Amino acid sequence: MRKRLAGPTTLFAAAFVVSAATAQTPGITADTIKIGTFGALTGPGYLYGKLPMNGVEVVFDEINRAGGIHGRKLQLVREDDRCDPTAAIGAVKKLVEQDQVFAIIGGGCSNATFAAKDTLEASKVPTLIFASVHDGITTPPAANIFSTATTSTIESQAQLAYAIEQGAKKIAIISMRDSWGRARYTPLIEAFKAKGITPTADEELSPDANDATAQVLRLKAAGADAVLMLLYPKPAAIFIRDAQKLGFKPLSLGQTGIADPAAFEEQVGVPGATANFRTISQVRYTPEDPKMDKWRKLVEAKFPGDRLSVYNLFGIGSAEVLVEALKRAGKDLTREKVVDAFANMKDFATEVYAAPITCSATDHRCNKGPAWMAKEPGGPIKVLGFTVVGQ
Amino acid sequence: MLLFSYLLMSGITTGALYALVALGIVVVNKATGVINFAQGEFFMFTGFVGWMLHVQFGMNYPLSFLLAVTVGFLLGTLTDRIAFRPIAKTDIVSLVLATVGIGFILKGLARVIWGGKADYLSFPPITSPEPIMVGSLMVIPQQLAVLAGTIIIMLIFAAFFRLTRAGKMMQATADNSRAALLVGIRTDRIYTLAFGTGAAIAAAAAVLTAPLTLLYPDIGFAFFLKGFAAAVLGGLTSLPGAVLGGLIVGIAESLAGGYIHSSVMELSPFLVIMIVLVLRPTGLLSFRKARRV
Amino acid sequence: MPFGRRNVFLALLAIGAIIPAFANGYQLFVGNLVTIYILLAIGLNILVGYAGQLAFANAAMFGIGAYATGLLQVHLGWPFWIAFPSGGLVAAAVGTLLALPALRMSGLYLALSTLAFAQATQWVFLHWERVTFGAGGFKTPQLSFAPLPISKPIGLYYVSLGLVVLLYVFARHVVTSRTGRAFVAVRDGEIAAESLGIDLLRYKALAFGISGFYAGIAGGLYSALLNFVAPEGYDLFQMIIHKATIVVGGMGSIAGSVIGAAIIILVLELLREVKGLQEIAFGALLVGFVLFMRGGLITVLRRYLRGWEEPLRIKGGESTETPPRAAPQPSVVDK
Repeated sequence: MRKRLAGPTTLFAAAFVVSAATAQTPGITADTIKIGTFGALTGPGYLYGKLPMNGVEVVFDEINRAGGIHGRKLQLVREDDRCDPTAAIGAVKKLVEQDQVFAIIGGGCSNATFAAKDTLEASKVPTLIFASVHDGITTPPAANIFSTATTSTIESQAQLAYAIEQGAKKIAIISMRDSWGRARYTPLIEAFKAKGITPTADEELSPDANDATAQVLRLKAAGADAVLMLLYPKPAAIFIRDAQKLGFKPLSLGQTGIADPAAFEEQVGVPGATANFRTISQVRYTPEDPKMDKWRKLVEAKFPGDRLSVYNLFGIGSAEVLVEALKRAGKDLTREKVVDAFANMKDFATEVYAAPITCSATDHRCNKGPAWMAKEPGGPIKVLGFTVVGQ
Repeated sequence: MLLFSYLLMSGITTGALYALVALGIVVVNKATGVINFAQGEFFMFTGFVGWMLHVQFGMNYPLSFLLAVTVGFLLGTLTDRIAFRPIAKTDIVSLVLATVGIGFILKGLARVIWGGKADYLSFPPITSPEPIMVGSLMVIPQQLAVLAGTIIIMLIFAAFFRLTRAGKMMQATADNSRAALLVGIRTDRIYTLAFGTGAAIAAAAAVLTAPLTLLYPDIGFAFFLKGFAAAVLGGLTSLPGAVLGGLIVGIAESLAGGYIHSSVMELSPFLVIMIVLVLRPTGLLSFRKARRV
Repeated sequence: MPFGRRNVFLALLAIGAIIPAFANGYQLFVGNLVTIYILLAIGLNILVGYAGQLAFANAAMFGIGAYATGLLQVHLGWPFWIAFPSGGLVAAAVGTLLALPALRMSGLYLALSTLAFAQATQWVFLHWERVTFGAGGFKTPQLSFAPLPISKPIGLYYVSLGLVVLLYVFARHVVTSRTGRAFVAVRDGEIAAESLGIDLLRYKALAFGISGFYAGIAGGLYSALLNFVAPEGYDLFQMIIHKATIVVGGMGSIAGSVIGAAIIILVLELLREVKGLQEIAFGALLVGFVLFMRGGLITVLRRYLRGWEEPLRIKGGESTETPPRAAPQPSVVDK
């Protein structure tokens, strides 16, 4: 017996349909610009998503307080990608097709952002990547995607160059085997080959590790005098602590994943263990630096309970670049003009990045000058210099 | 030989950590038959609470420890009330999913409350951080504290189960809850006690090991996985089995990492487990039950 | 007059078929995800709900299907339409092998050994870089429907929808046949089943194989949807989502799998609105669901829609024997 197909079942689908916006250029009205952001708000990758987004929002607040950009206030719409490729594609599609944002600043976890690259490219929305380091995102360059994160190739090359410069003869690697770690490992091996040397030892450490004795013993047995660490702060801290315990004190080189030498010293917990530790930072200042007081007050006021961290600074620097591009595009705002503004940005100095920001039509990696930092155990942080890497 | 001693030592200390998590899992399972998938999050959350008390509010260590353990116990009883008691008779998948839900809530809460403070929160050790010599090995004193703590907790619980009335009631309930009810045991109180104790163990473990492990909202799951593996390895209803399982997992990891390559460290515990379970499908130390038809 | 399950599903199918006409790209993407998870849920329900095997390897099978489909295209140059069913078959074969430990263990011990297998699979995805491209994953060739004038998102959506219909009908057929009854017999009492002449190895292997196939097919579709395969998407969080779909829908119900999968995926997308509180909200929803809708949505539907029959379902909530516990069901033969 045929029955009438019920109306109520249509409600199921209807709850999900949203009418399209009617604006000419999506995301802009006479007095607002809607900017989208995607990254991990939940899950282990939230350091590279939620915290930079907090930094972006603080910059937007400052700009809005001063009247906005050519009279338009900035609005931030956040989407969570949980560090998962599918969720990232969904987040980008939602931002572009449903939330109708004008431009995007974001990109936390590498694999997630890389998976969303095609969707971003097809959407033609001007996009600025603030944290993802995967080379595939910027190479080959997509017309509308730019990055202010120092990519893994740049950092890995800088690590090797610095080790050689400091006179190390037996350079070893210790890395994490996740997408972030691998994104750095592959160009590092290429860099070794280009210099005609091979790593003395090549060990792996899990991001959840609580003990690195086996790794330390193997590196020590290989006689390494420098160790390039492709690790997050926790496994790196455990490594350094166990190395100290076992009497192994090589030159230990970190990268922008460990961008705060003072916090790191605290995490290692053994006094003096970080004497031979050097790290790269994309940002020139660490959070306790008095020059960052302004941002500290703003972040800690807006997000009570939080402490200013380097991850906030990634967002702050990136947002400054985005704001500059929006300014340069002028009052008659279109997406093409913003893309052009990015492509022609030369030597733009931000308040936080170590090097001035320079993009070009063929190279969308805009931040190529990471700074080297060291901290005397118990003493202040010193910026040792900059390594500018070619290509 | 020195290499082996160091690897063994490191395996034992990591193994003690896994054993602590496993103990909490086994205590709950012994009484209720449920695997608390939120055990790792209990560990993480009470660790943060301990941090908040000791580092943020400056309370002294023993007081922070006690308060954290109390909070753990309360969390456990809350879980029992919300996620176990009302549904005690449903199938195991639903029960597991309920504990998973509690775990997510705790993780999300921890991220919202403490997530913005730093990437990995450090906890000052109770002993001096300088390594000391034990025999010919260098050891971090906190690791010895963890080892001692594990043994003490295991002894306390072994005594509890064997000697106290409450412990015997828990065993009876685990064996046959209907029969336990028939002889007048308040099984619902036993369930609450079990969950509370399991969580309290997690809290004790967390505050003891936080100086070594660094706090982050997502550390719970990795510990749960290894702890669950250790518990099953030892036989889910055996306390000494949990400790044995934990030590085996820790040592296997360490030796594989030292002698083969660090890349197999993550895999080796699971290989060991698969092999052991094929040979002894109910774990190493669980006694064989008569087959029920 | 009885409403009937069939009519509800025909209605849903009709809606599903016309969605591409008025959905934007994001909604179509989510719709496609729903179809993929329906396949996963049906397969898992056959294994866990009907055959009673507490297996935690479904997400790994999903991954094996995705990797196999992708790698056959990338390394051997096979076209998608051949690589895709092959991926399903590879996952089915691996799944069948899991039946062997299932003979020796049950309950939580089986859960752990399948979990260990899943972790080992994850390890292989990460470390066998020469073949699987390791942690960075790899892009699969763009799917094209040429010479038909259909865009890839729409074409893939209809292919997925068609497969859902086909595999739903097939699952219903299996479940109401002799095989299905054998599964339930194994679930409800292995020894009794054996004494009735049911070959445990054969039926367990069948259950694992079928669920492996469904997961593998879902994996192949997934790899085409994302154009990207990486180890992230096949971990324990995935496994929890899969379990949630069958618990929410109703264990031991194929129709329930459809509903459960749709609800879970839509909920995950709707939870975007709470931004950073997603984890808390999702956890609360899980607990709430288990507490208030034991037996899944199917029990609710059964109560309020007359004519909705669900053969061979697990009785939701009430159990007439001693409370089912996780204490090891000793399935080791006392030799």
